[in-house]
Amino acid sequence: MKSRFFWDTFFNKTLSAAALVSVLTLAGIFLLLLYNGLQAFSTIDIAEFLSAAPWNPAAYDAPVFGIGAMLFSTLIVTFGSMLIAVPLGIGTAAFLSEMASPRLRNLLKPAIEMLAAIPSVVIGFLGIVLVAPGLAQVFDLPNGLNALNGSILLAVMALPTLISVSEDAIHAVPDYYKEASYALGANRWETLLRVTLPACKSGVLAAVMLGLGRALGETMTVLMATGNATAMPHSIFDPVRTITATVAIEMGEVPFRTPHFYSLFACALVLFLITLGVNIAAERLAARLRKKGQ
Amino acid sequence: MRRPLFFLLPLLFVQCSHPQVETVVLKGSDTELNLVLQLAEAYMEAEPGVSISITGGGSGVGIAALLNGKTDIANSSREINAYETAMAYERGVQIEPFIFAADALAIIVHPSVGLDSLSLHDLGKIYAGEIRDWSQLGGKPGPVSLYGRQSNSGTFTYFRERVLKRDFSPDLKQMNGTSQILEAVKADPGSIGYVGLGYLTDNNGALREGIRVIRLARTNGEMAVSPLDQNMVYAGLYPLTRPLYQYTNGVPEGKTKTFLEFENSPAGKKIILENGYLSAREAGLAGNLEK
Amino acid sequence: MEKIKLDVQALDLFFGKKQVLKNIHLSIPEGKITALIGPSGCGKSTLLRSINRLHDLHPDARLMGKILLDGHNILHRNTNVVHLRRRVGMVFQKPNPFPMSIAENVAYGLKINALCSKSEMRARVEQSLRNSFLWEEVADDLDKSALELSGGQQQRLCIARAIAVEPEVILFDEPCSALDPISTAKIEELIMGLRGKFTQVIVTHNMQQAQRVADYTAFMYLGELIEFGETRQIFEKPQQELTKNYVSGHFG
Repeated sequence: MKSRFFWDTFFNKTLSAAALVSVLTLAGIFLLLLYNGLQAFSTIDIAEFLSAAPWNPAAYDAPVFGIGAMLFSTLIVTFGSMLIAVPLGIGTAAFLSEMASPRLRNLLKPAIEMLAAIPSVVIGFLGIVLVAPGLAQVFDLPNGLNALNGSILLAVMALPTLISVSEDAIHAVPDYYKEASYALGANRWETLLRVTLPACKSGVLAAVMLGLGRALGETMTVLMATGNATAMPHSIFDPVRTITATVAIEMGEVPFRTPHFYSLFACALVLFLITLGVNIAAERLAARLRKKGQ
Repeated sequence: MRRPLFFLLPLLFVQCSHPQVETVVLKGSDTELNLVLQLAEAYMEAEPGVSISITGGGSGVGIAALLNGKTDIANSSREINAYETAMAYERGVQIEPFIFAADALAIIVHPSVGLDSLSLHDLGKIYAGEIRDWSQLGGKPGPVSLYGRQSNSGTFTYFRERVLKRDFSPDLKQMNGTSQILEAVKADPGSIGYVGLGYLTDNNGALREGIRVIRLARTNGEMAVSPLDQNMVYAGLYPLTRPLYQYTNGVPEGKTKTFLEFENSPAGKKIILENGYLSAREAGLAGNLEK
Repeated sequence: MEKIKLDVQALDLFFGKKQVLKNIHLSIPEGKITALIGPSGCGKSTLLRSINRLHDLHPDARLMGKILLDGHNILHRNTNVVHLRRRVGMVFQKPNPFPMSIAENVAYGLKINALCSKSEMRARVEQSLRNSFLWEEVADDLDKSALELSGGQQQRLCIARAIAVEPEVILFDEPCSALDPISTAKIEELIMGLRGKFTQVIVTHNMQQAQRVADYTAFMYLGELIEFGETRQIFEKPQQELTKNYVSGHFG
């Protein structure tokens, strides 16, 4: 009896410690970001930081710290990728779950999940040699390394997660909802659109958010494939430089504890806050959807 | 039955325990990476007891690694800057510069631009975004499309110091590597880009198609020189000839020293020329170990 | 002799290699309530689901023979399944309202089949809820989620949903097996109230229920139809030994 009690306590303590470590790590990262990021504003005017003045911290004369163009670039690249990935992903998931034969499904689903294992450098490389020249040809552009190229590549990267998670959600919708719909004279399309998808919208929303998170934080691919011009883009055919690419390019060589160094933390902080905001919004929306469904 | 085989184990150890392998670590410039790699391979063939490890990342990364004691040699396509010098002083790192080769930076345009020479002054205006249409310089009307490297590249810094003396235009498309600039310039009708001399020729030594190499003049009115004209370049008349540096901490010793010496030997020089770079001395710059 | 609404002729059904229904012949009269009884696994639910071709969703299912609805074979390849299911509604064993509001549940079939205009919708929803004796209980909560109703209310909502599209036949697959006795009584009352308006087929394992509600009863055993006749005759004077044993509670 004594030894059973000991092991129970032991595992309880061990698991608590593991949970504590992850929470502390997260808190530590956030505090580090906050501490270093906020220091940037002891020398940089916050209005300048949030302005659209092109980012140029290692300028020849006076450095310029404007995150506006990069923020906007990040948002259009991400939003564009979702515009592509969400309909395609949910459509594919619905096809796999509802239309495909079990054999096809068992073949396709692992294949799609394998896509997630492709390193982002490879996707970026494909963007440079394949997608960008294709875009240049189709839209008659001088160069295909632009925001649209980034959106397409990020969509490809977000798709595996999006498809896999939303397929699980759609598949988990009980058959009796579908049967009830069919029994009322609905066809497969109507059943999918009006019963199955609404019944699993919180799951599908979670899938979209995971995909969005992946697209927002992706660095290598956009760094390679979007042209990296710091100017404010005027259309999706303009080259853009995202926040992640900026941090990645400049963090390697920035002298420590300089305004430039802190400003990169401030950039990371902004990105963190966006991701956090998206997650909180998604969590609330999902909770509301779940409540409405019950 | 298997036991007798255990005899052989000590023999394996004898096989493995090679006379001590000495490792030399190099880090830094992507521009220099391929050249130094080839030099290192030839050197290791000649001296089997030495292992040389080389990584890129950009000149700034190499110098930072030297200051942090993480590399024996920092490759850098630009001169060490004031901040880095101060930092080295602070940390007691004694920077020793070597120039092992030289590189001419070629300016290339899409053939449809309709220009074949520029002055450094106009080149600066183009890259600063002050000249935005080729017709302003007498070329075929059309917007200028700028290609360059990312800010962690030594070439980026060199070009800014030497040509612009101000900031790049924010419309500059910052590519990841020189090959990417080359491909982009080929595809974009209004494009201009800068690449190392070695990139102008293919594996057979023939000039690449689809680009035009610009002749450069120091000032308006002076004679414009092509980087492909070796005599002119060696005479020091091409304005964008730059030294390729290697920095060490203190006077090099041991294998680091012999490697630098190898680079300066006739065999090393041959490799440098074969790769489309210039030998430092003939380009009018001091060679390794003979400042 | 009454008019025959549904005529099952020589129906065989296989799931993969396993034969689940064997040579079923059954004539279901119009406007009446017909009960299908028999021990678990006898194929009564399977037969019921053949009548609106829900087995189409099962890739392994193979059907042979005929099921005539008003003289037309619904198993024919050219039958419009969507149209068929509009004419043959179904109420399932487990109450399965959609995760939407009460009103949306009833309106679903009307919207899908474009059976009425938007302005008529409210009236049609109300009518269906009244017909299923649910209106009094939910009139003020039409926008509440259907999943907040009790099990019995949910099942009556499912019946309201089925009758809203005005089918000709309603199939009930053990509609009370998940409900308490009071809810069960309400559902039975409701089914009897719909007698004459719809042809109703009800699968049940509860013999008292069959006796209470059904005009006709069919007894099935191991995939075969053993006996079919008026309910009173099946329970009081069964012709077959098997039927007699079953209704007297000797097995099953």
